[in-house]
Amino acid sequence: MMRHTEKSAWMAGYTLLTPAFLVMAVMMVAPLLALLALSFWTQNGFEIDRTPTLANYWTIIEPSDEPFFWMGIPFPFKYPPPAVLMLKSIVVSLVATVLVILLAYPMAYFLAFRIKRNKTLWLVLLTIPFWTSYLLRVFSWKIVLGYNGAINSALKSMGLIDQPLEFLLYNPAAVAITLAHAWIAFTVLPIYVSLEKIDPSLLEAATDLGDTKWRRFLRVTLPLSAPGTIGAAMLVFIPTVGDYVTPMLVGGPGGTMIGNLIQELFLRQNNAPLGAAVAIMMMLVIGALVAFFFWAIGFRKLRSRVS
Amino acid sequence: MRNTFRPLTLYAALFMIFLYGPVLMIPLFSFNDSLFATFPLKGFTLKHYGTMAANTGMLAALQNSILVAVCSSLIATAIGLMAAIALTRNKLPGNSIILAAFSLPLIVPSIVFGVAILIIMLKFLGIPLSLWTVGAAHVFICIPFSMTVLMSRLEGFDKSLEEASRDLGESAWMTFYRVTLPLALPGVISSLLLCFITSFDEFVLAFFLAGTDPTLPVYLFGQLRFPNKLPGMLALGTSILMLSTILVLLAEFFRKRGVQTNIPGDA
Amino acid sequence: MQRIKFIDQMSQGKLSRRDMLTKASAFGVGMLTLPSLPKAADVLTCLEWAGYDDPSYFKSFSEKNGTPNFSIFTGEEDALAKVLAGFSADVMHPCNYSVNRFVNAKVAAEIDVTKLSNWKDVFPALQTADGVVMDGKVVMAPADWGNASIAYRPDLVDDDFKKNESWGIFYDDKYAGKVAMLDSELCITFGLMLDGMSYKEAAWATGDKLKAAADTWGRKCTANSRFLWTDPTEVNQGLASGEIVAAYAWNDTVKNLTDQGIPVAYARPKEGFFTWYCGLTLLNSGKADKAMAYDFIDAWLSPETGKTLIEGSGLGHSNTKSFELADKQAVAKMGFTDPIQHMKDGTLFIQVSDQVQTEYNKVWGDTKALMQ
Repeated sequence: MMRHTEKSAWMAGYTLLTPAFLVMAVMMVAPLLALLALSFWTQNGFEIDRTPTLANYWTIIEPSDEPFFWMGIPFPFKYPPPAVLMLKSIVVSLVATVLVILLAYPMAYFLAFRIKRNKTLWLVLLTIPFWTSYLLRVFSWKIVLGYNGAINSALKSMGLIDQPLEFLLYNPAAVAITLAHAWIAFTVLPIYVSLEKIDPSLLEAATDLGDTKWRRFLRVTLPLSAPGTIGAAMLVFIPTVGDYVTPMLVGGPGGTMIGNLIQELFLRQNNAPLGAAVAIMMMLVIGALVAFFFWAIGFRKLRSRVS
Repeated sequence: MRNTFRPLTLYAALFMIFLYGPVLMIPLFSFNDSLFATFPLKGFTLKHYGTMAANTGMLAALQNSILVAVCSSLIATAIGLMAAIALTRNKLPGNSIILAAFSLPLIVPSIVFGVAILIIMLKFLGIPLSLWTVGAAHVFICIPFSMTVLMSRLEGFDKSLEEASRDLGESAWMTFYRVTLPLALPGVISSLLLCFITSFDEFVLAFFLAGTDPTLPVYLFGQLRFPNKLPGMLALGTSILMLSTILVLLAEFFRKRGVQTNIPGDA
Repeated sequence: MQRIKFIDQMSQGKLSRRDMLTKASAFGVGMLTLPSLPKAADVLTCLEWAGYDDPSYFKSFSEKNGTPNFSIFTGEEDALAKVLAGFSADVMHPCNYSVNRFVNAKVAAEIDVTKLSNWKDVFPALQTADGVVMDGKVVMAPADWGNASIAYRPDLVDDDFKKNESWGIFYDDKYAGKVAMLDSELCITFGLMLDGMSYKEAAWATGDKLKAAADTWGRKCTANSRFLWTDPTEVNQGLASGEIVAAYAWNDTVKNLTDQGIPVAYARPKEGFFTWYCGLTLLNSGKADKAMAYDFIDAWLSPETGKTLIEGSGLGHSNTKSFELADKQAVAKMGFTDPIQHMKDGTLFIQVSDQVQTEYNKVWGDTKALMQ
């Protein structure tokens, strides 16, 4: 056996990582540093005052004696929008993530274990709806859920209702459904990939040991596919917290989210430094949530069980 | 598994309806003789397709989008594959930090990246905006998707396969071609698909980083200012849907007629 | 193992490592050099709304100078961010409410109107309007304009409203969930006007007065709106289906809906209807010949362009001659017969200082953010 020494293996590993590092350095590290610097500066008309200050961060967390109540929850801040929108965005995003995982998992399971031929065809079929523009897809949801839309028209022609149902669109439920639809391919594919590699002999072993189908699923399949499923959940949860287009389009007048605030601060409200501070706070909150989640479920153990 | 689990098949059918149902509204209303996409349907017409064909700006934008999406999904998947191999094969120092860093693009709202990358491109690097700058940004946002899929595929595969290949005297490249790549292939295909739809649909970065060639989402977003352009947009959406479906079916047809080889990963 | 064979075949035309590297580096170099090919400065670059890049809007320019390059934007703030970051363009298409941002950011240049052959025919009110002239200098050549009023379904609103058309409909609980206001701080401004302020006073409101108005009027209007619209397509669809019965709208909405046989009326609210206007601004980052930029602006001011706008989209044009050239019926569909008188009847939107505008934007942003 010509085993490489550990060091040369590291070298090879880092070499393979170089292109990724390069892209990240230009596209991510530089912008992030710029963002960080910006968050310590102040906007002064069109000029930026570069004296370092924590004022932007203070604006976000400055306490107030009279809490602002949002949905009955007290927010003791002088400037409550960042905190309120952060919470709202996380809740909407969580709901959408749970929904999308629940919808996607059985489908991924079906693809991995029930489909024997033409798997690639199935994978492509799953993504074809996404080859049309996102705007058009959101628009088609509006047609489905809308006032004289598909659902309302169908119910009307069946004589079940005489006035169109208005609660279908422009509310958080519509946001969750649309988000779930928008991200479904991003969950089915990773879950499928992690299910597909499960060694059939493990499943056979479980059957031989007298496990029922459900027990086998719970004891073998689910744990083995957990890392992929959690990865998929992260792929949905993390970006949807910052998404603001979908809530804007189908969420109705109360559809503002944290990403929306950041965008407004950068553009309409002409306060990029505060926008940068809010963005950084948001990243920290998401990062902390994700870290807490991984810690809580003992992700390391999960992963080591798989490998 | 001989015993077919009926409820699951039923679920798959429902799932496909959920997936395709709303999207099928696009073709439905693209043939509807009205500017407005509401029920009841008016007459049947093909005139919106004429409008679409006459909209050269929109078709150029479509071409730009396809170009950017194909290039960036290929590049992002290649980079993602290399990185995934590095991270799953070697216990590198700082492995978990690197991993966390690579998922950062997901956390930062794209508006922030859009503005920041714009300034860096123009002010620091002096690179004029073009489809290349959009493509570069798309490679960057696709890498987390690509890596997630590929790492979960590569994790836990038996390292000894690769070692055996090395022991048999294969070069590193041949080992990659003959062992690693086939193993990773379902992941590679998934990654390509995910990256393609990510790039094809991306709006904010494309908006800030496009020069004088807009991508399709940027162009369509602007068209919403004109209610009478909507049917043309629906016709375009329909054409994309139909063309891609036909392409996929054709590819499948020729694959079946050709050598009776399974597509790798079609185990 | 068939799959391995497949890969094997694929790699038959295998590349040596060196080949691979040369190819890759050639590609890399290509990527760096391709975009930096000097762009010929003999092509005009325009920052333009999507859809306004249609050649029929600048025919006379194209005949002389060929096709310009367009960089598409969807909102002026985004376009400004791009220009501030160093993107160079010759001409930009702002509106009355946004042109001052470009001027104050020092990216706009003064327009010499003597170089515009069509300037003499521009509506006098527009020639001197806020934002067209700033500090005594012409900074925007007005081109397209439209009204801002309430479009409503006469078959679906009460007679009370028809007899007494008013912006109050957006604050009336009777119409909660049945109206759609623009996603704009005008929600607050109109509320202040209902309180008895003049438009000008309301637009310049600041401090506690503004906050109080946002808390009452701003919230009410947001809560009562089925959605706050950002693009006209949404409004058109909503009015067509009857989902909403009244909306803040431009003339084009009325034209589109009546063309499709949907009953819709364009109100003359007792508090007044408004006129917005957009136009062309010279940017000082431009690299092309200034004469070309003037040709482009002049083409936009031509009556032929106006005819296209009026007949095609139901929006107005700054050139008075356009209305003589255009189909009379198309003009009537915009809701008037005498454009000069109509321009006098309407209230031109005004511009407030950057400071007031920013405060307004912030208060409006916070109002939306804190909706329950």
